[in-house]
Amino acid sequence: MNCLSKPIRLLLFFALLFALPHAVQAHVGSKDVYEQVNAGPYKLFVTIRTPTVIPGVATVEVRSSGATVKNIHITPLPITGEASKHPPTSDPMKASTADPAFFTGNIWMMASGSWQVRFDVSGDAGDQVVSVPVPAVAISTLKMQHGLGITLGILGLFLVVSMAGIVAAAVRDARLEPGATPSPNRKRKAILATICSLAFMALLLWGGATWWNVEAAAYSLNVYHPMSVSPSLSGNLLNLNVAAYDGDKERASRSNKDFLPDHGHLMHLYAIREPEMDAVFHLHPELASIGDFRISLPTMPAGEYKLYGDIVHANGFPETLVSTITVPANMPGTPPGADDASGYPQPLSHGELGNSYKLPDGYTMVWDRPATVSANTAYAFHFHLIDGDGKPASDVQPYMGMAGHAAFVKTDGTVFAHTHPEGSAAMAALMLANGSSGTDHNTMNMDMSAHNEPLSSTVEFPYGFPSSGRYRIFVQMKHSATIETGAFDVIVP
Amino acid sequence: MASSTFPTPYAGSHTTTQVTSKTTSVPWYIWWGVLAVTSSSIGGAWDVSWHRSIGRDSFWTPAHMAIYACGVLAAIICGYLILINTFGRNAKENTATVNVLGFRAPLGAFIAAWGGIAMITSAPFDNWWHAAYGLDVKIVSPPHTLLILGIRGVGIGILFLILAAMNRASGEESNERTFKTLQRLFLYIGGLFVSGQMFFLLEYTWDVKLHSVSPYVAMGIALPFIFAMLSQASRYKWAATSTAAVYMTIAIAEILILPLFPAQPKLGPVFYPVTHMVPAKFPILIFAPALALDLLWQRTRAWKPWTIALVSGFLFMAVLVMVEWPFANFLLSKASENRFFGTGYFDYNSQPNGYDRLRIFFEEDHGATLFAGLLRAAVYGSIGTWIGLNFGRWMRSVQR
Repeated sequence: MNCLSKPIRLLLFFALLFALPHAVQAHVGSKDVYEQVNAGPYKLFVTIRTPTVIPGVATVEVRSSGATVKNIHITPLPITGEASKHPPTSDPMKASTADPAFFTGNIWMMASGSWQVRFDVSGDAGDQVVSVPVPAVAISTLKMQHGLGITLGILGLFLVVSMAGIVAAAVRDARLEPGATPSPNRKRKAILATICSLAFMALLLWGGATWWNVEAAAYSLNVYHPMSVSPSLSGNLLNLNVAAYDGDKERASRSNKDFLPDHGHLMHLYAIREPEMDAVFHLHPELASIGDFRISLPTMPAGEYKLYGDIVHANGFPETLVSTITVPANMPGTPPGADDASGYPQPLSHGELGNSYKLPDGYTMVWDRPATVSANTAYAFHFHLIDGDGKPASDVQPYMGMAGHAAFVKTDGTVFAHTHPEGSAAMAALMLANGSSGTDHNTMNMDMSAHNEPLSSTVEFPYGFPSSGRYRIFVQMKHSATIETGAFDVIVP
Repeated sequence: MASSTFPTPYAGSHTTTQVTSKTTSVPWYIWWGVLAVTSSSIGGAWDVSWHRSIGRDSFWTPAHMAIYACGVLAAIICGYLILINTFGRNAKENTATVNVLGFRAPLGAFIAAWGGIAMITSAPFDNWWHAAYGLDVKIVSPPHTLLILGIRGVGIGILFLILAAMNRASGEESNERTFKTLQRLFLYIGGLFVSGQMFFLLEYTWDVKLHSVSPYVAMGIALPFIFAMLSQASRYKWAATSTAAVYMTIAIAEILILPLFPAQPKLGPVFYPVTHMVPAKFPILIFAPALALDLLWQRTRAWKPWTIALVSGFLFMAVLVMVEWPFANFLLSKASENRFFGTGYFDYNSQPNGYDRLRIFFEEDHGATLFAGLLRAAVYGSIGTWIGLNFGRWMRSVQR
């Protein structure tokens, strides 16, 4: 993993380089937060680009619409616990001179955990406050750039050589009366001292390099890893065992006993058939005992499935637990639950899906695909549900409390993000951050079943692709009693 | 050994040299050097307080500026000394210089320049470290160690500049006033050095840890060495006491001054609502063991160095434990929560259930563990004293 050769590394402790494998986080491989929130009459599209190391700096961007925003102050603070009661001083966001509705700012995330960024908004409609949850975790360590390594190496070498020169001068010249010249004996001693000092410094550098390794190893322990889950399938009964942690400090804030319901379910499980992504299921296992999620699977085509299980901890920290199962041929199936959904898009190898997706019941889902899509750019992606007559669907109902659910999945399996029209933050965390009590189940369950008015046939999802590559987007909307699953492909250059 | 342990500066007859006869006052660069070291000491304490009260801030905080002013001043002084003595018109005449890689200047100038370069090297290294592993608040990390080594290098360099001038002046009775001034400056810088050692040990000598072995082992390694060295090199019989007094005065001044300034945390998580700058903890009472060492060394001039060293380590540790152990009880009691002892000040990120906030001892050591640990600390003290005495004696003969 090191750029420089071993002897150089040992000699020039400064040039020692490290890199650890890129790790995942809440969602998978999609760390940034894209969220649309309302602060009273102000509508904010928030992008929070979290740091890869903790402590580190997160950049915050806000595009405002609705009532005119004059200024925004941002404050980072944990969602729960003692420190949530003592906000630090806020930082003002800077309005763009070209676009006064666009604000940017930075915040320090000083510790891992479940954080929120509080936005104090003032403008034409007075002062308003809204919070966006941010899961803060260290996800990697940086590799040192070659140029910096060489510069530090040269400076380090100079420090070693000049120190040896100073030691030689101290032995040879320092004690001489001014004007006197050193005797041959002193000169010999100086050479000996130079050799000894070089050996001593080599020892120090070796010690320093060892220390560096220890520090790097200690840091890598803090790099985020999701809780481990072991799947087992007997008949069509799937057990997902979430291991308890007895581990380090960072994980102590996450346990397998502290799950919060999100949209009425403790776990939202996506099962995607690999490698063609031609079957997708959105299921909701129930908690049978501590850490043990269970579900009787519906009829599924045989094959290997990647499982992405979204959970939210009591402090609002969301995680995606990843595992795989193999579904055997002719597995018996149980009728799906009321909120469960499935879709069967064409295999990846059959080409790219377009902007219009034919649904099995004659409806169509249409994506207003932006002219260009680039990585790390915030978008509000719009999807429409069209009925069998080619008109906007007039019978759209909330699906688990939301106008829709979307999953952005990279075809190589390195990115998975389950998002909602509010954005990529978990709804339960968003509600905790904005003052709903965790015990208020009516609110936490997002029980919108009493919703009678049909919803708009258009749904939007704020999101930004974290890297270039091919993605498949699964969009779920409900009309009458039918839950539709549309699929779209996009290649992010 | 009687004569070599504490020589009297004006008793011997030394050859008058070209330089000593010229040295009628303290050179300007020494004053600037003293200012540089003072600046970094104040900056260091201020910066720690900044991180504990406000949190990590921009690079351009006054505390950071005070630290880096040390490097800038050192660069100006050393650059000037190296240039003037290597290429200057009178380079050949000024003979009180040493030769390092072809350049000529007093030894102290080279050491201080080395420290300045180490400080500069640490900046991009530290920056990368924070980017790679997070902006830790640990004082003891590899890049911080390099920075502290650099600051210490500047300090040692200035100390050697003073020392060489002092050693040359010690031969001349007409230079007695200059010698005295240089000696005071030397002891003052020595005191800042002791403060620097204690600063590096801050994480080990937290008041809640004072009933365990680790702070005593740390101080056993760090302090007797430096007291013995300063005592020998300065030729002053109260050197340990006076340098310990410099440390304690600065630390108490910090407690009295810093909380006068309002401050609020800029970063979360905030567990304790800080309203004013948080000073360091009350200083360790090293004044007492330092006084014991001075008294011992005044009375044992006829002893062999290794016996002095052996007794010094044990005496230092015995007095330190006798004084600090009961004092730690006082520091953790309500009685010390006042403006002077300042034990009621906490960082913004000190948790309500932490040892510091609860005012209870952290991992107390007892019985055999304690005894063996203190014994080890005393042995380190003895070894340190031996090295310090020898190095100090060597320093006393530095002329250039």
